[in-house]
Amino acid sequence: MEARAVTWLRIIGWRLVFSVPLLLAVTFGMFVLAKASPFDPVRQYLGDRAMVTSPEIMAEIRANWGVDRPLLEQYTTWLGNLLQGELGESRSLRLPVTQVIGERLGWTLLVVGCALVVMLAIGLVLGTLAAWRRDSWLDRALTGGAFATEAAPVFWVGLLAIWVFAVSLGWLPAGGLTDAAATEVTFTGLLRHLTLPVLVLAVSQSSWLLLYVRESVIGVLREDFVLGARARGLRERTVLVRHALRSALLPFITIMGARVPELVTGVILVEAVFALPGVAGTTIKAALAVDFPLLAALTLLATIAVVLGNLLADLAYTLADPRVRVLGVS
Amino acid sequence: MGRGFVLLVAMLLAIAGCAAPTEPDAAGVSEETVVFGLSSEPDTLNPVLGYSPDGGSLIFDGLLRRTPDLKLHPALAESVPDAVGTEITFTLRQGVTFHDGRPLTAEDVAYTYNQVLAPENNSPIRGDYAAIEKVEASDERTVVFHLKHPYAPVLQRATLGVIPAGSDLAALGNAPVGTGPYTFTSWTKGDKIALTANEKYWNGAPAIRSLVLAYTSDDNARATRMAAGEFTATELPPKAAARFKDQEGVTVHETPSADYRGIMFPMKHPVTGDRAIRKALDLAVDREAMVSAILAGAGSPAFGPVVPGTDWHNPAVTGSARPDTEAAGRLLDEAGWKAGPDGIRVKDGTAARFTLMYPAGDSLRKELALAFASDAKRIGIDIQLAGLEWEAIDPRMDTDALIMGFGTPYDPDHTNYELFHSAYAGQGYFNPGHYDNPEVDRLLETGRETADQAAREKAYHEFQQVISDDAPWVYLVYLKHVYVVRGSWTGLETGIEAHEHATAGLLGTVPGWKPAP
Amino acid sequence: MAAVEATAGRRPGRRPVLAVATLAVLVLAALVVPLVAQLDQQLVDLRSAGLPPSLAHPFGTDEVGRDVLLRSIYGLRVSMLVGLVAAVVSVVIGGLVGLVAGTLGGLVDRLLMRVVDGFNSLPHLLFGVFIVAMFAPSPTAVVVAVAVTHWTTAARIVRSEVLSLRGRPFVDAAISGGSTRARVIRRHFLPNLAPHLLLATVLMIPHAIWHETALSFLGLGLPPHMASLGNMINDGQRSLLAGDWWSSLFPGLLILLPTLALSALAQHVRDRANPRWRSELVL
Repeated sequence: MEARAVTWLRIIGWRLVFSVPLLLAVTFGMFVLAKASPFDPVRQYLGDRAMVTSPEIMAEIRANWGVDRPLLEQYTTWLGNLLQGELGESRSLRLPVTQVIGERLGWTLLVVGCALVVMLAIGLVLGTLAAWRRDSWLDRALTGGAFATEAAPVFWVGLLAIWVFAVSLGWLPAGGLTDAAATEVTFTGLLRHLTLPVLVLAVSQSSWLLLYVRESVIGVLREDFVLGARARGLRERTVLVRHALRSALLPFITIMGARVPELVTGVILVEAVFALPGVAGTTIKAALAVDFPLLAALTLLATIAVVLGNLLADLAYTLADPRVRVLGVS
Repeated sequence: MGRGFVLLVAMLLAIAGCAAPTEPDAAGVSEETVVFGLSSEPDTLNPVLGYSPDGGSLIFDGLLRRTPDLKLHPALAESVPDAVGTEITFTLRQGVTFHDGRPLTAEDVAYTYNQVLAPENNSPIRGDYAAIEKVEASDERTVVFHLKHPYAPVLQRATLGVIPAGSDLAALGNAPVGTGPYTFTSWTKGDKIALTANEKYWNGAPAIRSLVLAYTSDDNARATRMAAGEFTATELPPKAAARFKDQEGVTVHETPSADYRGIMFPMKHPVTGDRAIRKALDLAVDREAMVSAILAGAGSPAFGPVVPGTDWHNPAVTGSARPDTEAAGRLLDEAGWKAGPDGIRVKDGTAARFTLMYPAGDSLRKELALAFASDAKRIGIDIQLAGLEWEAIDPRMDTDALIMGFGTPYDPDHTNYELFHSAYAGQGYFNPGHYDNPEVDRLLETGRETADQAAREKAYHEFQQVISDDAPWVYLVYLKHVYVVRGSWTGLETGIEAHEHATAGLLGTVPGWKPAP
Repeated sequence: MAAVEATAGRRPGRRPVLAVATLAVLVLAALVVPLVAQLDQQLVDLRSAGLPPSLAHPFGTDEVGRDVLLRSIYGLRVSMLVGLVAAVVSVVIGGLVGLVAGTLGGLVDRLLMRVVDGFNSLPHLLFGVFIVAMFAPSPTAVVVAVAVTHWTTAARIVRSEVLSLRGRPFVDAAISGGSTRARVIRRHFLPNLAPHLLLATVLMIPHAIWHETALSFLGLGLPPHMASLGNMINDGQRSLLAGDWWSSLFPGLLILLPTLALSALAQHVRDRANPRWRSELVL
């Protein structure tokens, strides 16, 4: 037990050590990009009003914000504030950054969490099914379907889903988070509104999992101990679940961690298509508005998410196979 | 494994079952909670920081208020003063209190306006109040506006919502306290704002007790939610509203607006600087097709910057909705622009070619630009389109044409003064084409400084005629705003709306709505 | 694509006829049609707006009357071109980095691999959005955005191949025979790397196409009036709820088909490939 705890501490420690320069580099890179950008945050801030605002007033706002101060100064100021827990105020939303993220992060995590569960279900169940009934029409249909959903852009799938389920059949709403007349969020309302986005995200992300599980299970099924188990007369289900799946799980976990960037990408597009008030959709608006403080915080968040994903994968790896000593980055 | 599969299918069916359409929420049409589906959520609910300065904020009152027929009426002020000279005095109505019980005093009014003007607040609307030097409360009930110069249109600015003196601007933006017909209940960011009727409102409590402003920026999502019965009323783009036209229990209102789109030409460009080219393009535009295809019928052809239907509009300035390519061709031939071998006209070695820019995120302007370029091709003028971000457009505005839009119905001084007066040439979005006509300058100055209504109208009528003759812009269309309202109500009044209309405009009349008997 | 390496179950030896045929048809259409039926990107026909599919317009017309079929093919051409260029650029960059890391080894190698891991931590689309949003949307910006987020794959492939080549006897022989490092690289490494680079490029193209369309869909790609599959789907979104499904469906199909065909092809190549290669085809 202690050995595992020590391993875990070592893994976490190494990851942290490598994360810090990574986070610094990424956020600094973002500042460099934003500084080099021709986009004028003041113009974005004023929106339509920019058409009727005189250039002098715009220059004043620019000076008030310190947009033209040197890059290094802006970055170090931001960093200093960050270490004190001060993330600044979003220029485009005129709210503290912590509030912007706090209000929206929950929804994104909810959608992602549900999608992960559904994705696991789809991938494991359908992948095993395909492996079990290898080369049958079912297998071909599932494999073909997986390839197709991998190749199809998730925003297109989302639009088609809206067209089929919301427009033509009228079963589910086409977007938003809740029914408008409700003054608070209800569970059934959420369920209805999140069904399509979660399903679309899960389906588009699960194809690789399905194919992966399928291959692993096929590989395992060929092995001697499985033949032995079958020969002993064990039920198919026991064979599959207890032996095949378990060894398939191991590599799957590590790849899972590496797929977090894809998941972030998927959430951004799903939030855009379904008009969900999550943190990923805010990122696009923040990028277009060149909202330095919000952008920096969101960049940080996204990179931390990926680092965490990799970290969890490393930790889970040791759980699945205690013989493995994984030290930081391979 | 069959079991697992069955379980999954069962789960999916259960979800689909829960998602079976319920009856449209009765609350959507009762007199209890009325829900408006709106497109763009405000960043802040503080009028000083830009929330609904032209009225219709529902939470705040201004010194004056506007009825849909565009007339100004007293609100927090007792009467509408004359806008003569550089000092304008308002006397406040008695007995008005804020939602938290504090009585309204002149100090609150002065605070509101001075905060807008204060540079450190970076108020996005500060430019609109540039004519005001400062506002002071000379006693409990008297407010004096000190202007930098005589400015007749200043009364139009007095619809700004009044906030309590000393308020923290950011905090107030999230938990507003005003004197208006509705009090603030809650704001779920990204989703909705809930309001409750102000029982103690000085003008009588509204009949609709509970109001929800729900925000869905995506037009299609809003249309679907309206169809599902989630909203009592919403505003939609014309194509999305078309499906409601013949539905029972639902009324579609098309209100005219002063919001126009047109092509701004750079005067210094060898092709667009030639008046014959501009007038020919004006003749060749198929405005009728633009209104019916691009605006789905919710619009009208535009021939000038002042919207028909107001006293300011000069009825003599008009044109044909259908193109007249022959007349356009003749005009160009006479001016020396002869068709070249590839069909593009040439004069003195210069081909009739220029670039038209449109803002990349705006699909309406993109479609109008495409239609305009196609129309121009038919008379031998080659227009190259460029879809750019505003930052890329800014430096090119004095060499390339740009499809722009403006329009308020309240007073023709704003923004025509800034757009056409030579003093503003080349200043950002003001007069980007460097238009310079001394007669126009004179007319605009007269209109701004005279207080006499008849004299102002005459000046602006002449202004419209000169602009029409000179054609520094080719005006394309006026937009109509389309509202879909469920149920029957009295008190709905339509009028000419401005560009920014959210809860100003038709939905802003909600304090006067009552369910029809 | 990750899907490719997960399909070992398929019986090797089955020829991907359908995939090759589909790809051939699409590429041919993208090359030939623009020569035959010139598309004026700016021409609209307002009086034919919003027509459903018919003989005259097999894919229907969009909201300003443009033929969806012709525009889809033009859009496909743009997407494939941008995808190809972006894939080549990212493989070149990645290949160089991998070569340097593998050849020099030691501290340089470790440092470069840290950089690779760093770039791998970036959510691709997010940074693509940042890059394109920072600079005016244009094909160049899209190519840069894709290349910057995807070069790491090629880097990994090249590095591991170089490392394995270094250990081979013929390399030692060449060096003891007096060849300089540069010569060894040129004569021995590069020819062995070429097939890997080619495969990496082919595998990268679907990714690049996907990114270009995603960025265009968000309004950050090519100019909005130009025919691009992402732009068309974005425009189609507005008409979708009015019931006009064709302007969203068909452009999406033209993204789906080449991607599917390419991944089927790649899977076939992988099945027939040297088993040593298989572990590298993890994207």
